[in-house]
Amino acid sequence: METSQFDATLGGTEHLPFSANSFKFTASRSIEIAAMSESILRPSKTKLIFQTLPVHMRRRVMSHNCKRLPRKLREGHLEQLKKSGLPPKQKRPSRKYRRRPANLLNEYNRRQKKNIWLETHIWHAKRFHMIERWGYRLADRPCDKAFRACYRASSAHCLLQDISYYTPVQITGPVDVIGDMFSCITSRSCGISVTAKAYITGNREGTIHIYKPNFYPLCYVGKVRFVWIQNDDSKKELWLFVHPSQIKQLETIFTNFTNPELRNSTLEHMEKKRKISSKFSDLNINIKTGIFNIFRLTGPKSQAVLNNTIKCVTNLNKLPDKNWLSHISNTSFLHIKEKHDYWENAKLASSPSLLPPHVVIGLIIKDPRLSRPTYRTKAQNNNSVHVNTALLIEIPPYLSYSPIWNISLHEHIKKKQMTNGQFIEHITKTQLVPGEINEDNPELQDVPVVLIQRPGSQIAVYKKIGYGTGWDIIVPAGYGLPFWQTLIMFGARSGGLRETESVAFEMGECYLPPDSDAGSLEEKRIELQLKEKYFRRPPSKRVNYQKLAVNSPFICPWKILLSDWSSKNVNDFFVLRDKHLIDIIQDCFLAKKEIPDIDNAECCLIAVRLHTLGKGNLKQHALICLPQSNDVQTIDNLFEPLHEDVNEKLRKEKRKEHLQFLKQIKRKRKKAKKRGSMVNNTFPKTSSTKPSEYVKSMRELWLPSNVETVRNTCSRPILGYLSHGAFSFTEGKSFGIGYIAFNALVVLLKTGQNKVLIRNTTSRKYRLANVELIKNV
Amino acid sequence: MADENIKEKKQEIKKAKRIPNKNYAIKKRLPVRPVEGNNVIFITKKTNFKAQLDKCCDLLTRGEKEIILHGLGAAIQRCCNLALQLETLFSGACQLEVNTGTVDLIDDLEPLVDDLDFGAQVRHSSSIHIRIFRTAMLGANQ
Repeated sequence: METSQFDATLGGTEHLPFSANSFKFTASRSIEIAAMSESILRPSKTKLIFQTLPVHMRRRVMSHNCKRLPRKLREGHLEQLKKSGLPPKQKRPSRKYRRRPANLLNEYNRRQKKNIWLETHIWHAKRFHMIERWGYRLADRPCDKAFRACYRASSAHCLLQDISYYTPVQITGPVDVIGDMFSCITSRSCGISVTAKAYITGNREGTIHIYKPNFYPLCYVGKVRFVWIQNDDSKKELWLFVHPSQIKQLETIFTNFTNPELRNSTLEHMEKKRKISSKFSDLNINIKTGIFNIFRLTGPKSQAVLNNTIKCVTNLNKLPDKNWLSHISNTSFLHIKEKHDYWENAKLASSPSLLPPHVVIGLIIKDPRLSRPTYRTKAQNNNSVHVNTALLIEIPPYLSYSPIWNISLHEHIKKKQMTNGQFIEHITKTQLVPGEINEDNPELQDVPVVLIQRPGSQIAVYKKIGYGTGWDIIVPAGYGLPFWQTLIMFGARSGGLRETESVAFEMGECYLPPDSDAGSLEEKRIELQLKEKYFRRPPSKRVNYQKLAVNSPFICPWKILLSDWSSKNVNDFFVLRDKHLIDIIQDCFLAKKEIPDIDNAECCLIAVRLHTLGKGNLKQHALICLPQSNDVQTIDNLFEPLHEDVNEKLRKEKRKEHLQFLKQIKRKRKKAKKRGSMVNNTFPKTSSTKPSEYVKSMRELWLPSNVETVRNTCSRPILGYLSHGAFSFTEGKSFGIGYIAFNALVVLLKTGQNKVLIRNTTSRKYRLANVELIKNV
Repeated sequence: MADENIKEKKQEIKKAKRIPNKNYAIKKRLPVRPVEGNNVIFITKKTNFKAQLDKCCDLLTRGEKEIILHGLGAAIQRCCNLALQLETLFSGACQLEVNTGTVDLIDDLEPLVDDLDFGAQVRHSSSIHIRIFRTAMLGANQ
């Protein structure tokens, strides 16, 4: 039966179907749906989020302060702000909030993600200018003016530096295999090898020069210090202390040694992977970043500071059971009593330079907090008794043994370590007299440390004996700050990277030589820094290097220099480190004889020290030039003639053009403004970080970057450059460290002279200087 | 006779001259120092003579009762010179007391070949210790 439909009852004609096809229904409305969803997803109206709010929810200055918006809209609001170009400015949380321990820790952890922090970081950050270097955040220089004070500390008192950034590398395996590996990456001519009898006992620390495998003398990596470890069992262990700038290179070298199949498999993809076992594959090489703290004490008083800080454990029986010492299987290796006696005698020395050079002493000492003075006191060494020299000459074989090299013990030490808070609570609450410190407190565990002596200067003709002498202390992780603070409380002066550099300079050593990657990176960094500084000056205050005929004032172009002195193009160069050859060349120099030929002469640099004769202050990047025969007599009036600056006219024209262009644009903009229409900016937006095209081209005209030749740019041919030069406090006059091309040296000696001319980059005056070869490059 | 003796002596000296060993490099250590203090001065060959003389004069005129000069090896002559100059400068007000001695110096032998260990040798050097003390107190003569 047909029921009447609603329209019919009203007398209409429409009939509705009984069923509706949903597909047809939506299909016919698809355009509308699409339009709606489109408008929801991408609203065409240009309103901002807070403008869409109903009136009763709107607040004053909502766009400025997002906290006035409902919370769910905040995110979108910030997004919109970002899109419009305004940076969303968040209010900095209050200091009180930021300094809450948990928040502070979070903040510290966040900041440590980018660069590694040392354990003493916060102590340093309060007192030092911190810089980023080699993946670490390191102290550069103290905030107080302390350059000279730090020098005085290193020569007469005690300079303290945190060098925990040196990365320890553990190598275990048979001795001859280790020796074979090192013979590939070192050369015998640079000094005795790793497996030399002098080092293998572990009583002395040694240094070696490392090169890329079988590349000697090219591809220098760096100087590495090493110690052989005395173990209870027969297995030998070698620890290297690698500078962080070289650790990446060294790591790849070692992995290529231990599993060469890795490299091969990448080369020959589809080949069946077969195990290529080299003889080095049973070596175990571990890079152990951050398991030690290494502190460097420099200066004669470092002995006194150490004497006061270190209190040797004399009796093992007193120790409580929970101590990590109970984990050592055989305590007879420790030789605690004998070591204590040795140290008691060594204590009488007034300077570390009296002790055997590079000696390694492993000690077990009491917690350093127990020996800390209440006030900062200067440790003095006033012994009426003299050292027993016979005891100083002989090193007992057990002296270097230390449980610190046993890594499994580190965890126990860390676990049982008393934190500073616990320590304070302990001495103020539990002691009979609150605050009084009992030196034999059994609650605090003992700490193993290793002391390594550095002899400093050992040749009197060059530097006063014992300059730069001191101790390196190796302390397990976690104990960095307690040790550091105790050393400071005994009057050590802290220094940073600048002091490392200045001590190396005063000692006359090469700090990061230019043929290593680290050195060339450092050179580039300095160049960038100096260039920026140079261009920050107004043009009228800039040194015009073209008039002075100096074409690379901020970096030493070694490769160009070497190519100029040889017939072919030099792409790779090296610094001569062959001790025998250096001795020969030095003798030739003194006798003004001609030098014999060497291999790879065209790409060889020779490291030299330069002392001015008479006046003159040497600076970095100064030019070392070849004197003419009568220059020695007329040195007082020897100037570089003023050169013409060919770019001066160009610069002026360019500047004029640029000013006109700016004027034009300004006029256009004004006109457009008057007309009331927006004109699109023809002049590109200048950002503060990147220099514009105009500035770049002007800089190019000031300092042309395409240096092609350096040898004959000025009136005297250039032999080499100074890599470091300054006033030296140990010499009492100006002094520099530089490199001279080998072929240039040959030419110099052919003229029968052994003095060179030196000209600073900012001066036209030539100075005469004496040359001396550096033997321990 | 006398000439012959000298000749013999010269030959002896020539024989005793140390021959540099190719296997070792000789490195020096600091000598053991006597007790240091404000009034103790170590005379060196490198420091300016006048500067050290002025320093001594300063100490004495400032009212120091005694100063001690130490000289070692080649610096002995300088040390004596300085003491004598001081004596003439403070004529009558100062007296000298001279002691001589021997100091043991240690030289380290650093191996230059693989199969040798570090060594050390003891060398002796003459030393002089001059105590200069005031006989008349400061301002007593004026």
